[in-house]
Amino acid sequence: MIKKRSTLSFFIPRRWSPRQEMKSYFTFRNYRRVWLILIVSLALTCLVPLSIITVTHQRIVDRAMNVERILRAERVTSNARRSVGNFLAERMDALRFIVNEVDYEKLSRNDQLENLLKNLTVGFGGISDLGVIKEDGTQVAYVGQFNLKGKNYHNEPWFKQCMASGQYISDVFKGFRGVPHIILSVKAKSPSGDFFILRATLDTAKLIQTVRSYQISDYADLFLINHDGIIQTPSTTYGDGQQKILFNVPAYSARTHAFEIRDLKGRPFVLGYAYILAGETKTPFILIDLKQNAPMGTIWDQSKIKAMRIFYVSVFVILLIVFLSSTYMINRLYMSDSIKAHTLKAAEHKSQLASIGQLAAGVAHEINNPLAVINEEAGYMMDLISMGDSPPDNAELTEHMQSILDSVERCGTITRQLLFFARQFDVKIMSFHPADIISDVLKFFKKEAEYRNITLTVDVSPRTPVIVSDKGKFQQVFVNLINNAFQAMEDSGKLDIEMSPMDPDFVCVTVRDTGCGIPDENLSKIFDPFFTTKGEHEGTGLGLSITYGLMQKLKGKIDVKSKVGTGTTFKLIFPLNIEGESKS
Amino acid sequence: MCSITKPYVLIIDDEKRFATMLSKRLSLRGYLCEVVYDGESGLEMLPRHPYKVVVLDLRLPGLSGEEVLERIKIEQPDLPVIILTGHGNEKERQVCMGLKAHSFLNKPVDLSALVTLFETIIGSESTQPTEGMIES
Repeated sequence: MIKKRSTLSFFIPRRWSPRQEMKSYFTFRNYRRVWLILIVSLALTCLVPLSIITVTHQRIVDRAMNVERILRAERVTSNARRSVGNFLAERMDALRFIVNEVDYEKLSRNDQLENLLKNLTVGFGGISDLGVIKEDGTQVAYVGQFNLKGKNYHNEPWFKQCMASGQYISDVFKGFRGVPHIILSVKAKSPSGDFFILRATLDTAKLIQTVRSYQISDYADLFLINHDGIIQTPSTTYGDGQQKILFNVPAYSARTHAFEIRDLKGRPFVLGYAYILAGETKTPFILIDLKQNAPMGTIWDQSKIKAMRIFYVSVFVILLIVFLSSTYMINRLYMSDSIKAHTLKAAEHKSQLASIGQLAAGVAHEINNPLAVINEEAGYMMDLISMGDSPPDNAELTEHMQSILDSVERCGTITRQLLFFARQFDVKIMSFHPADIISDVLKFFKKEAEYRNITLTVDVSPRTPVIVSDKGKFQQVFVNLINNAFQAMEDSGKLDIEMSPMDPDFVCVTVRDTGCGIPDENLSKIFDPFFTTKGEHEGTGLGLSITYGLMQKLKGKIDVKSKVGTGTTFKLIFPLNIEGESKS
Repeated sequence: MCSITKPYVLIIDDEKRFATMLSKRLSLRGYLCEVVYDGESGLEMLPRHPYKVVVLDLRLPGLSGEEVLERIKIEQPDLPVIILTGHGNEKERQVCMGLKAHSFLNKPVDLSALVTLFETIIGSESTQPTEGMIES
């Protein structure tokens, strides 16, 4: 029956860490960490550029949108400015025309003035009354809703300004009548040589209507302020009354301007403004166009929304792929490591057996020789009994039997050594002197060294302490290295082993041979599993790899230096206490 | 007169007790044995007697068994040399047979088989090498 995999298993690896005893064979100890690193690095690699592109795109769109808003605000403000300016200029021109074309005498008469007001209302609209004021400030004629004839304006600021500059446009104020209005006035000379002023009151409704006609969006707010920042026409942002705007009054400029601002409440706007001129006459008005940073509903907004949608979908797809691929990779890596670990463990076991076998083969010669002696001694005694002319005397027989016993003792010694040695492979952590182990190992190479005339030198510093380690693994490291050295050396070679304490917590052992050496290009590979320079049937390529693995298990380090034709030196560093080392 | 017919055998082996006992047992079987314990001495002994066969160990102090075999074959190419070693592996066997050793035997050896081999060698006019390893 096929086991159905849950959806979650595609996103989370099946195994996080190997069993304790197998950990040393695996590439990583904690695959969860590797998985997380893989996910984060892959996600960052994909998402960072995508985010940068998206943010950059959004900024470009925002900038383009702002430029568009600013340009639009400038256009609207400029158009509205012309209209408002023309509105005021037309009415000022009408007043100038009247004072130039109509005699002062006629103007001083209410009936004449009324006709003029009618004509102005029909022609221009928005003018609610007309008055003629003498140089002393007395209103000599007035037509309109209020009874203002005879009122004296001598002390009114507008009167003084008009007398001084010849014309005057007031800002919006309520004055005596309590209704918002604007005063337009022009100064003229009567035939008697006295000055007089023709004053018109402008209803603000028409002006407001003119301004509002340019307000084409819910997010735009067009209104007038005076030079003190007091609102003159209703503002959707700041109200209808005579409040002050919540931003600084823009500096005077003859041109229209637009830019981004934040008001005192922190709200962002695009501000377009223009100082209003009525023809050549300065007015107290500044046209303000405030645009909120609201969605423009344009192609820019759509582009932004589309880009964000693509971004979110991409992030989702990338994360999905990153999770799937990382989990798949970690699962595969774990599986591959697991196979490698089991292979290495099996190879290590085989190597142990092989090293015992190798030693056994080495000692076979030593056993066969005493066996051959026993064989010949026993045979000779048989010969004496069966072929001799007389029975052999006891002394002669005793000599041969003693020789047999000596030979048996020789065999026994050798087999005991071999058994003791083989048992060490099962020994776990214990206390021992490293020199003793090396001495035991060298016993098995002694005869071969003699036969091949190889000089063995062991130099142990008297300060070398007892160590606490895995004796079996320690022993196997030296079996492998000395075996390797013997294979690398020709007859009459030299093998030096030096041992000394290193730092307070370590022991250093160097194994130096005068073998063929290792070429530089192979030096970095000699600890790789299955790397061998020997023939197909001469070496497994596992010896040094297993030695490397053993050194890791012993929490030691192994380093190699070699020169072709001169020899190889292995430097091994062991902790004094493998358990203390592991705790630290 | 009898001694003239006895064949000379040279035993070269550093295992002194073994070489001595082998020599004694072969002497009981009618061979005249000379025993030396290293290769150099063996080579020195060669011209002294008309040896019919040489029994040679491989692991010797000084000159190795292979070197001694090579030198014997240079000086007396027709002299049969039997290799008798405590640890004869296939590689060493091939090397020795390549150097024209007559036979390659492992210790401990069955003396009767060894004597039979001697008789075959001495009885035969030809001293062609025997193929393969004779197990004791």
